Amino acid sequence: MDLLVDSFFSALLLVASFDPEIVSIVAVSLKVSGSSTVLASLMGIPLGFFIAFESFAGKRMVITCLNTLLALPTVVIGLFVYAFISRRGILGPLDLLYTQKAMIIGQTILILPIVATFTIAAISRIDERYSKTAMTLGANRRQTAFVILREARFGIVAAVIAAFGRVIAEVGISMMLGGNARGFTRTMTTAMALEYDKGQFALAVALGIILLGLSFTINLMFHFFQGKTRI
Amino acid sequence: MKVYKISKLTKVYATRTVLDIPLLEITKGRIYALLGHNGAGKTTLLNILGFLDPPTTGNIYYCRQPIRFTEFCLQPLRKSVVVVEQHPILFTTTVHKNLEFGLKVRQIPKKERDRIIKESLELVGMQHLAQAPAHRLSGGETQRVAIARALAVNPEVLLCDEPTSSVDVDNQIAIINILRQVNDQKKITIIFTTHDRYQVDSLAHHTLLLNHGKLFDAADGKSFMKKVG
Repeated sequence: MDLLVDSFFSALLLVASFDPEIVSIVAVSLKVSGSSTVLASLMGIPLGFFIAFESFAGKRMVITCLNTLLALPTVVIGLFVYAFISRRGILGPLDLLYTQKAMIIGQTILILPIVATFTIAAISRIDERYSKTAMTLGANRRQTAFVILREARFGIVAAVIAAFGRVIAEVGISMMLGGNARGFTRTMTTAMALEYDKGQFALAVALGIILLGLSFTINLMFHFFQGKTRI
Repeated sequence: MKVYKISKLTKVYATRTVLDIPLLEITKGRIYALLGHNGAGKTTLLNILGFLDPPTTGNIYYCRQPIRFTEFCLQPLRKSVVVVEQHPILFTTTVHKNLEFGLKVRQIPKKERDRIIKESLELVGMQHLAQAPAHRLSGGETQRVAIARALAVNPEVLLCDEPTSSVDVDNQIAIINILRQVNDQKKITIIFTTHDRYQVDSLAHHTLLLNHGKLFDAADGKSFMKKVG
């Protein structure tokens, strides 16, 4: 118990003092996870929208595949990407292994199915009368699609937040593709794993506090946005 | 002038024929009541007339032009025909922006849009709710705003699916007066579905009776009322 309490207070001191190492780790985490969330959103929202909005052969199979990909373990993605970007892989000459770019690629693959499936769910829940109303008011297909997207905005923002929450807390991909290099690819989760191995609980707990704080802040922002736009 | 001419129209869902209309003509500037039981095919016919749903077979002429039910051909036609549903849905934004939608689609300049929105809301007595969140309106207010939204785009034909079925008596009277006024002043052709024979008598110039998908009778409002007793 003393260990936990001591670690907690030491962690609070570290956070309050803006320890340079912690700042660097948090910055890398935010940069990598933020980039992968933006990339996954740019691809996943249009993909999910297309799947939900259009009718095409094999639609159910595509949705089933995406749902299956939700359960993909991070280490499997790590291995898969590693096979491509390691020196012997076809993307080896790009020298991506143990860089932030490699982590972003892996994390994007991890959350792309999350953003797409959540977007499909959000769009599918929208009342059919919205598209009918838009059409009868003279909207073309693109304008009707925009109406649906607008009505589904809360669900889509929730998808993006869930995706960010998933990547900021993952370890496998960051460790396997980033290598946990101090100041370059060390993220909050890989640093916590390392500090735990070293028995340095204070830094690990400090990072845990920051991770929870970040999660809370993002959710708070979402609720604020939801409250604002629902008028 | 005939705004619609429909011949040999059928609509079949699976194996069930919900509409079978050999001939129907709608005259420009008149008010038509479409009377029938639940499931008679009123809403289906309204959706076909509103170019939202294609018929299974048959020919439709709109202002003497034959209609091809492809998205490319229908989208421009929808700019002159508007459907107001029985339970209309308003976009989750302000009343003003709801009315603005159809005008933006038609690329009407901002100043002109604001003027039209103001006039349309005044017409339905909802001008005080212009900045109100649309999803917080009552049923009657929603119905009136939906009518204002449809009228804002200045349609040639207004199709209303049971416009007074889910509102109180005050709103029923208001909606009937609005429909009568826009027909009188703007010569908008109106087709509305209803179960209410009093409404048929008080508002419609013509009555169409749909019974199990068949257009049973067509007559002027008063003689029809005599026929059905």
